[in-house]
Amino acid sequence: MKRISNKYKALILLALFSASCNKILDQNPDQILTEEQVYTDEIMIKSVLANYYGRIQYGQRTDDSYSFTILDEAGKSDGGPDNIQTYSDTQWRVYDYTLIRNINQFLLGLRASSTIDEEKRIGYEAEARFIRAWVYFNMAKGLGGMPIVGDEVFEYVPGMDITALQYPRSTEAGIYDYIISEIDAIKDNMSDAPATKAERANKWTALMLKARAAIYAGSIANYNNKMASPIRTSGGEVGIPAADAGKYYQLALEASEQVINSGKYNLMLKKPDDLSRNFYEAINVKENNTEVIWAKDYIYPGQTVEFTKLNIPASHAEDIDRAYAGPILNLVEDFEYTNSRNGELKTKDASGNYIFYNSPLDLFKDKDPRLAGSIILPGSDFKGETVVLQAGQKVLQDGVYVNKTGDLGSSDANGLITSENGPITSNVQYVNKTGFFFRKFLDETPLASTRGRNSDLWYPRFRFAEAVLIASEAALELGNTAKGLTYINQIRTRAGIPSLTSMTIDDIIQERRVEFAFENHRYWDLKRFRLADKIWNGSNQNPNAMQYALFPYKVVAPGTANHGKWVFDKQLFNNSPNPRFFQMKHYYNFIDQAWVDNNPKIVRNPFQ
Amino acid sequence: MKRLLYALIATALFIQGCGKDNYEEPESVISGKVTFNGVPLNLKGTDQAVQLKLYQPGYQLNAEVPVYVAQDGSFKVKIFDGQYKLVGRNNNGPWINATDTVNIDLKGNAEITYEVNPYFLVENTSLSLSGDNKLTGNFSITKNVATANMSYYTVLVSKTAFVDDVSNFYRKDYNTASGNTVSVSEDLSSNETAKNATALFARIGIRASSADQAIYSEVIKIK
Repeated sequence: MKRISNKYKALILLALFSASCNKILDQNPDQILTEEQVYTDEIMIKSVLANYYGRIQYGQRTDDSYSFTILDEAGKSDGGPDNIQTYSDTQWRVYDYTLIRNINQFLLGLRASSTIDEEKRIGYEAEARFIRAWVYFNMAKGLGGMPIVGDEVFEYVPGMDITALQYPRSTEAGIYDYIISEIDAIKDNMSDAPATKAERANKWTALMLKARAAIYAGSIANYNNKMASPIRTSGGEVGIPAADAGKYYQLALEASEQVINSGKYNLMLKKPDDLSRNFYEAINVKENNTEVIWAKDYIYPGQTVEFTKLNIPASHAEDIDRAYAGPILNLVEDFEYTNSRNGELKTKDASGNYIFYNSPLDLFKDKDPRLAGSIILPGSDFKGETVVLQAGQKVLQDGVYVNKTGDLGSSDANGLITSENGPITSNVQYVNKTGFFFRKFLDETPLASTRGRNSDLWYPRFRFAEAVLIASEAALELGNTAKGLTYINQIRTRAGIPSLTSMTIDDIIQERRVEFAFENHRYWDLKRFRLADKIWNGSNQNPNAMQYALFPYKVVAPGTANHGKWVFDKQLFNNSPNPRFFQMKHYYNFIDQAWVDNNPKIVRNPFQ
Repeated sequence: MKRLLYALIATALFIQGCGKDNYEEPESVISGKVTFNGVPLNLKGTDQAVQLKLYQPGYQLNAEVPVYVAQDGSFKVKIFDGQYKLVGRNNNGPWINATDTVNIDLKGNAEITYEVNPYFLVENTSLSLSGDNKLTGNFSITKNVATANMSYYTVLVSKTAFVDDVSNFYRKDYNTASGNTVSVSEDLSSNETAKNATALFARIGIRASSADQAIYSEVIKIK
């Protein structure tokens, strides 16, 4: 064999190397874009905004099922007990100056852009400023007044005087004033057409934020100063003067009435003969929705949420996951009866004997229709099939009823013992322990509870009902009870319960509790009404602080009239043994030591 | 044999690796009590409910060292020698907001008393449990601050020596107390936990409406 000399080998190699050279180093990067490239292209501008929309979901939300279980709305059924004793000093705390800086960079770039026409530029600018106001609002809810940096984009150069970058905290009134003034400045630059899936902010969203910020500020001014020892700092970073309450209530009333009178949204009433279904669809169905003003939207494929998969009843589960959490009896009993304002379920008569029901749903007869629209009750339908909740059999033995429970789905000669859905009291995973399932935010789409697909149901942030209830509350606080009644009765009429003829603030609190269950209102409402430390006072003797479950049993008493009927036990919810304990220090989140180290002008909150 | 040698070398290397680059652990102790007129107060000892703050000035960052107060009012910190300031936590504790600073020059050990002015005091407490599990006794309420209002007083029973508004299995709140000496009468005869317990401890708490938590009596073993 003839050997190729080394000289040729070298030549061939050299030839190969020089051939492989393309202009790899001269390519434009497709991952890093210049300011110029971003702010001259509308698609790029929209995708920057989309990024911001994706970063502003705070507090209770459907991508965190646990967040529903730490208040008095639902309980965690997943595995063993949740031994939470009290709330965190940083509960749902928002401190996102990174995002505020990003938004300010965006505003800077957008304003310098020459190619976007003026009208559109103003629209995008307003949208970005709305998102910024929303971030400030969520910060203020938890922390009180925080530094307001305006449109500044700070740049740090080594050696510079950093004290110029250190802004002190604003007053609590000041941060709400700033949010309100921002909305006033931008609202007329925003679109007044409802977004198809309520995913983008428009003029009405902005007015809703104004109304909510004003009603929060008004109620803090009002109720904080009625406490035995009002929570405030000497600089006003926490605490709003009582004299300002009227001003804020007035602003809240005006802003909410603008939304109400806009004619763009309404209290949906498409199924007047099935008000429960109507209520479910008003909140959960996106197509032709005229009630939801702004929501965290999800879409399949790509952006989906696990809530349905985690919380679906076992009988309807399409994957391994199921029954992570369920609503508790406390919430169910807070829904009124259509013929009585006391919603307590009648499980026993005056002398302590069981009341027997022909079917489990009969217990809930004449309840506020919103109950069945928000919660799956024992024996009600989901996707056209019954959700059976049966803890066991009540067997009559020698004149007393004895519980008989079995394995999930087991039966004997008398029929089913314990349903595959539970409820049970053990530490087993994937079985309900409260006696109820969520209906709100539970997706009926096929395969929405599989790991591969998940759900694309949205999570509303503002809906029309809130505008009406804010107007009602503000009117009431301003002394115009007649107007307050008109508005609250709109909500009650749509819901399907009788109108009120007189009202107090307790009616507002009650109405918000049931109308907005699981919608990230309860915690903030009890905070602003300064009721959280009283309702969740940490006492195991306080039925409002403890959590309760409802266990349905089928009666086995052959030969008696009650055989085959249903009875119910109200009992403490095993999986949450401790009372809810909201302490005075939880009214305001703690300030982080690191923030003070970086900016000594930040004063700490009370109780810190 | 060779394997053993390798193992030995490896072990030697590991031991070798521990250099003397660590600090010695702190040996000095600040201990003390939260007091009123020199008498330690009875407080909530769980859940880090009562805290003092310890600062060491002179450094760039001034993060505090939290000092947790136990239910007999005592506290103890093991820390390095140096100059410290001990400060009350804002609006924390059943007393008029105490933010006085106690300077501590720590060399070895230091014994501190942190004097506060509580709204109420629970005194002369006697509690006992009868054979049929009925809790009786009495205590006196001393209003120490003229403007203070009582939010509630509470009777607490626990299975362990830690008794407070969270650590208990029996709690009964009363919103009004008639007179300064209050008698207690609680029926625990139908309480399963009380029936089966081998030891029981009880305590009285009084919450002033302007305080974030209650002040307590001493813990009394009733069974």
